[in-house]
Amino acid sequence: MKLTLLSSMLIGLTLASAVHAEDPRIGVAMLQPPRSGLSPLSDDAFKLSRWSMAETLIRLDSNGAPQPLLATEWNRVDDKTWRFVIRSGVKFHDGTDLTPERAAASLTAATQAVPKPRILDGVEMTAEVDGDAVIVRTEAADPLVPNRLSSPQLAILAERAYSENGIVTPTMAGTGPFVLTRINGVTSAHLDRFDDYWGERAKLSGIDADYVGDGTARGAALRTGTAQVVEAVPVSQAALIDPSLIHEVPMPRTNTLYVNTKKGPLVDPALRTAVRDAIDRAAIVRTVYEGRADEARGLFGPALPWADPLRQPINDISAKAPEGTQITLGTYTDRAELPEVAVLVAQALTVAGFKVEQDVREYANIEADMLGGNFDLFILSRATVLDSGDPVSYMVSDFGCEGSFNISQLCDPAVDAALAAAAAIEPGPARNKAIIAAEAAILATGAAVPMLHERVIQGEAESVSGAERDPRERRLVTEYTTLAE
Amino acid sequence: MIQALDRLTPAISRGVTLIGVMLLVGLLPWISGRDPAMSILRARMGEQNPTPEALAAIRERLGLADGPFQHLRNWIEGLFQGDLGTSWISGAPVLPGMLEAFGVSLLLMAAAFTISVFVAALLCWPTMQRGLKGRDTRTSGGIEATLTAMPEFMLSALFLVVFSVWLGWFPPYGWEGVAHIILPAFALGLPGGGFLGRLLANAIAATFHERWIAAWAVAGFSRGQIARAVLRRCLPALMPQVGMIIVAMTGGAIAVEQVFSIPGLGRAVLGAASAQDLPALQAGILILLLNALAIGVVANLIRVALLGRALGMGALPVRELAEPAPDRRLWLVPCAVVMILMALIAFGLLRDPFTPQYIRLQPPSLSLPLGADGLGRDVLARIAHGAISTIGLALIVTLISLVIGLAMGLMPRLAIGLIEVTKATPPTIAALIVVAAMGPSAIGAVIAVSAVAWAPLAAHTAALVSEARAQPHVRIAPILGVTALQLIPRSILPEVFGPVLRHAMLRLPGNALALAALGFLGLGSPPPSPEWGLILADALPYMERAPLAVLTPAASLALMSVLGVSLASLVRR
Repeated sequence: MKLTLLSSMLIGLTLASAVHAEDPRIGVAMLQPPRSGLSPLSDDAFKLSRWSMAETLIRLDSNGAPQPLLATEWNRVDDKTWRFVIRSGVKFHDGTDLTPERAAASLTAATQAVPKPRILDGVEMTAEVDGDAVIVRTEAADPLVPNRLSSPQLAILAERAYSENGIVTPTMAGTGPFVLTRINGVTSAHLDRFDDYWGERAKLSGIDADYVGDGTARGAALRTGTAQVVEAVPVSQAALIDPSLIHEVPMPRTNTLYVNTKKGPLVDPALRTAVRDAIDRAAIVRTVYEGRADEARGLFGPALPWADPLRQPINDISAKAPEGTQITLGTYTDRAELPEVAVLVAQALTVAGFKVEQDVREYANIEADMLGGNFDLFILSRATVLDSGDPVSYMVSDFGCEGSFNISQLCDPAVDAALAAAAAIEPGPARNKAIIAAEAAILATGAAVPMLHERVIQGEAESVSGAERDPRERRLVTEYTTLAE
Repeated sequence: MIQALDRLTPAISRGVTLIGVMLLVGLLPWISGRDPAMSILRARMGEQNPTPEALAAIRERLGLADGPFQHLRNWIEGLFQGDLGTSWISGAPVLPGMLEAFGVSLLLMAAAFTISVFVAALLCWPTMQRGLKGRDTRTSGGIEATLTAMPEFMLSALFLVVFSVWLGWFPPYGWEGVAHIILPAFALGLPGGGFLGRLLANAIAATFHERWIAAWAVAGFSRGQIARAVLRRCLPALMPQVGMIIVAMTGGAIAVEQVFSIPGLGRAVLGAASAQDLPALQAGILILLLNALAIGVVANLIRVALLGRALGMGALPVRELAEPAPDRRLWLVPCAVVMILMALIAFGLLRDPFTPQYIRLQPPSLSLPLGADGLGRDVLARIAHGAISTIGLALIVTLISLVIGLAMGLMPRLAIGLIEVTKATPPTIAALIVVAAMGPSAIGAVIAVSAVAWAPLAAHTAALVSEARAQPHVRIAPILGVTALQLIPRSILPEVFGPVLRHAMLRLPGNALALAALGFLGLGSPPPSPEWGLILADALPYMERAPLAVLTPAASLALMSVLGVSLASLVRR
C-alpha cells in the first residue's frame, strides 16, 4: 500500500518535471501587493491584465487608438449610445461561454461598484444586451467610450467571479491566455496556461508572480535569477545591474511643482515666475534620477509623442526678486525620489532668494493638507493619462475651477474655457491641438511647473523575449512571451 | 474582600487597559482628522479623483455617517459571535487573514528568538567564566551594545545583499521554506540577542556578588553546578524582558517583513492603519494585545515558579554591599568612544551639511573623507551636524521613559496591564494618536516614542522590585517602623536603579531610530535636518555603491549606545 503510494508519487513527480521540460514557467517580481484580493474593481485590475488573465472589450494600440479584443467591431449609434459586437467562440477559464449577457453583466457590476472604478469617474453609464452585441449608453455625450472600455477595471469575467456582497474574485474566471489558479494573499499568485484560449496558445506554461515591495529585493530578484521579469527596478539599483537586462520605458507621468495661486505669497504671479525660473531641471534629472528621466517641456512628456511638435512659446510675466519671501514646500515619501527632488528644489529656491521650509510626510498623511491648499509649493508625481489614454480629465481635475484635485487652487476663466473646448472634441489631431492649447493656458498662469517625466525601469533576464514594455502598465507577460532554456 | 480584590488587581488592570486601547483604536478614524472615505478610496485605487459623490458613496456603504459609537457597538456585538467584521477595503472577512499573518509572525519569531538565545549565551560566556573564577564580573558591554544598536532594517538590507546577491546562499525574498526564514531570523535575532545578552550579563554579574556563591564554593559544589544555579537565580528578573522580546519580535518585525516580503502581522497591521481599514486594524491590534497579555502572564508564571518558595518567604538572597571599586580599565571604553565621537564632530562641524556641492555618491577622498550622499552632500558634515540633536533627543526620550518606567514599575500590580499592552502597541499607533491630538510637529515624535518606550523599563523595574521586597531586610523593615513610602528611597530604589539605568542606555539607539522613523507622519525633525536615523535610511538604497554613507551613521549609533552602556556600567550598585 505504502509502496504504491510512493511509486505513484514518484510518477507524479516525473510527470510534473516532464511538463516543466516542455514549456517553462516565468517568475515575475511585482511592485505592489494586491490592495483588495485582486478584485478588478480596484488597482489590482492592472495586475490581471499584466498577466494576460483578464481581457476587456477593447484594447489600445501603442498610439492609444482603440482596437478589437473581446468586441470585434463597434459603432456610435448616436451621441450617447455605442454598440459593441461581442466576439463569439470565447470561453471563460471555468469552461462557460462568453455571451453578450455576460459582458453586459460585468460592465453593469462595475458601474454599480462602491467606490466606482476610476475610469468611470464622472460618467454615468449603462450596458444592455442587443442580439450579439452590447449597447452602452452614457448620460452625457462621451467621445471616449471605446477608450474607457479598454480599462482593465472593465474586464469581462465569468459569473463565478461575482458574489452577492460585491466582492469579485477572479480565480478561474477570465478569458485570457493564462488562468489564475491560486491567489496566495499578499505574497504571490500563480497562473497556468489556458489551453482553450480563443487566440494563439501561450508559449509559456505558466506564471509565478511574487509581490516584492522592497526595491533592493526587486533588484536582487533579477541579479539572483529568482525572477525573470521585474517591475519597477529603482534607480538606486539600476546601476548595479547589467545594462542589457534593464529597459527604460517612458511613463505618462509628470513630476510637477504645483504653485498655490490662492493663498500665501505666491498669489503674486511675478513671484510664481521667479519660482519657475529657479528650478534647474537638468540637475534634478542628473542627480536624483541618474539621467533616467526626461526633462519636462510641458505637462506631457515623450509618452505622448504627439504633444511636443504642437507646442508654441508661452507668453509670461516677468519675474520679481523674492527678497527672502518665506514659503513652504511639501512632498511625500511614497515615491522614493520625491524627498530628494524636494531637497534640490528647496536648495535652488534658497539660492534664488526664497526662505524655504520643507514638510515631507507619507502621502496618506499629507493629502488633506495638500488639497486644502496649505502649502505654497507641492511636488507631486502625477499620472497624466489615466485609464482612457486621454489627458483632458487630468487637466480638468488638477487645474479646472471645479477640479477635485486642484492643488494649485487655480481658477482661471481662460483655462476653463480651453479645457471645455478640448473635452468636446472626438479623439484625433483636433483634440490633441486643443489639449496643447489648454496646456499653454495652464502654464501661462504659473500654477504648475512641470519638472520631469519619469521612466519606469523594467528588468528582464537574458532568456526572456516578447515581454511587453507598456508605458500604461497594462501588459507585461503575454501569450507571445517566451523563455529560452 | 479587600484581599480578593488585591489578588484580582493584575487581571483587572490587564482587562481595563485592553478595553481602553481597543476603544481608542475604534475611535481612530474619527479623531485622526483624516477622512476614512478618502483613505479607502486611495487604498483601492491610486490617483482616483476624490469627487464628493465617490466619497459620499463610500461613507454610506460603510455606515461612517452613524459615527464611532454605533460602529463600536456593532463591533463588540460581532466580537461575541466570533465575527470581527469585514475589511473596509476588500470586503472580505478580516480575521482569517490576520490569523494567517499571526501564524507567519509566530514562526519568524520562534526562529529569531532561537538565534537570540544562542547569541546571548555566547555573549554571557565570558562574564560567567570570570565570575566562576572569582574575578570582577563587570564588562563594558561594547559588543552587546553594538549588536543592540544595529537597526533591523539595515541588517536586513545588508544580509540580502551579502548572502543572497553576492554569495547566492539564500533566496532574496518570499516565504515558502526553511531557506526563506534564515536571513530574516538573523536580522531580527542578532539585535535581540545582543540586548538579551547584555541584560543577562548584568544579572549574572550582580548574582556573583551574593553571599551564597561563596558558601557554595566552600561547600564543594562544582563550577558547573554553580553556573546552573547562577543562571536560575538570574532568569526570574529577566522573564518579563524575555516575554517582551518575544512580543516585539511577533508584532514589531515590520522592517524585516518589508525587506524580505514576509506576509507577517506587523506589516498587516501597519497597512491597515495607514489605509484606515478600521475592522482590519481592530482585528490586528486585538491579536497583538492578546498575544502580549498571554505572553506576559506566562512569563510571570515562569518567574514565580522559578523563584519558588523564596519569594513568598521573603528569603531572596541579598547582594554583598561592599563592592570593589570599578576596575580602572573599564574607563578605557567610554573615553575612547568619546574621543572618536569628538573627533568626528570636530572635523565635520566646519563643513557644509546642506548644499549638494559634490557629485552624487562621490567616493571618499582626502577632501571628502566619508564621500557624498545620494544628493551630493557631505556625509561627514551631516553626521557631525546631526550628532547633538540625535544624541540629545534620544537621551531626553530615554530619560523620560526611565522616570516613567521606574514610577510605573514601583506599583507593578496596578500597572501590569498598562505595561504589557503598551509594549505591544506599535509606536506607529501611538504616533497616529499623537498626530491626531496635536498635529505634525517636532516635539510630537518625542512624546510618541516616550509614550511607548517606558514599558520595558517598567516591566524590568517591577520584576526587580518584587525581588527586592522579598529580601529579608526589606521584609523586616515595617516591623522596625519604616513606612512604605520611606522604604522606597531607602531600600528599593538603590537596588533597582542601576540595572534599569543600564537597560535604558541599551535602548538609546533604538529610541533615536524610532524618533527618525516617525517622519512619515510629519513628526520629528523635518528634512533636510541631518538626524542620524534619517541619514541612515536615506543612504540605505545605495549600500553597495556608497557603503560608508550607511556604515558611518550605523557606527555612530553603535558608538552612542556603547558610550551609554559603558558609562552606566560604571555606576555603583
